[in-house]
Amino acid sequence: MGHPNVGKSVFFNRLTGANVTESNYPGTTVDYTKGWMKIEGEDVELVDVPGTFSLDPKDKAEDVAVAMLHETKDAKVITVIDASKIERGLYLALEIIEEGYSVVIALNMWDVAWDKNIRIDARNLEKILGVPVVPTTAISGEGIKELVSRLKSAKPVEVDDIIANVGGLT
Amino acid sequence: MDYDEKGTVIEIDRDLQKRGAGRGIRVGKTLRMITKQPIKGPVDVIVDEAETSLGLELADRIIVEVD
Repeated sequence: MGHPNVGKSVFFNRLTGANVTESNYPGTTVDYTKGWMKIEGEDVELVDVPGTFSLDPKDKAEDVAVAMLHETKDAKVITVIDASKIERGLYLALEIIEEGYSVVIALNMWDVAWDKNIRIDARNLEKILGVPVVPTTAISGEGIKELVSRLKSAKPVEVDDIIANVGGLT
Repeated sequence: MDYDEKGTVIEIDRDLQKRGAGRGIRVGKTLRMITKQPIKGPVDVIVDEAETSLGLELADRIIVEVD
């Protein structure tokens, strides 16, 4: 899951060896695609969904993404965030976490964020959220292996714990 | 707001708060207007380096104090 144009389909292609259309403008994926990947010898199904800004869908493509998520309650969710636009990405990630899904966060386009002089303390973010947070550059493949290896440690977390970790709501 | 003006969000309609937050817009955020589409088209703003377009109906209910 993730916003439009953050690289979800690039991830999907990398992980499954599939050839879903990617382009550098938002909204390329309007339906979902299923594929398979191997994790430690086990076949795992992976679903690529259209981008959505929130779990409160506002168009058909967002509808598909949210319906797909809700259909697979026990799924592990790779939430792809554009690291250079982290705040709005984290909003979506928190919504997914709040619904009880096991989430792994990919801080994608890490190279773009770096070029824009944006530095993110991924380890600290991981501590606060309690879910794996992995910097990635899907287009070059950086961080993908680590992301896959962290999938198994993803587990549901309580939003109250996250609030406590940041010292409460202001 | 006019083209290229900057402002700070001071109020968002309650039922729009979730929708705004998904696009990085919340009270206290600085917005910069980059395009106004004609014939009641959407407006484009930049928030945190990210461009986002808002329908007029939505934009109407976000109160911004222009700098």
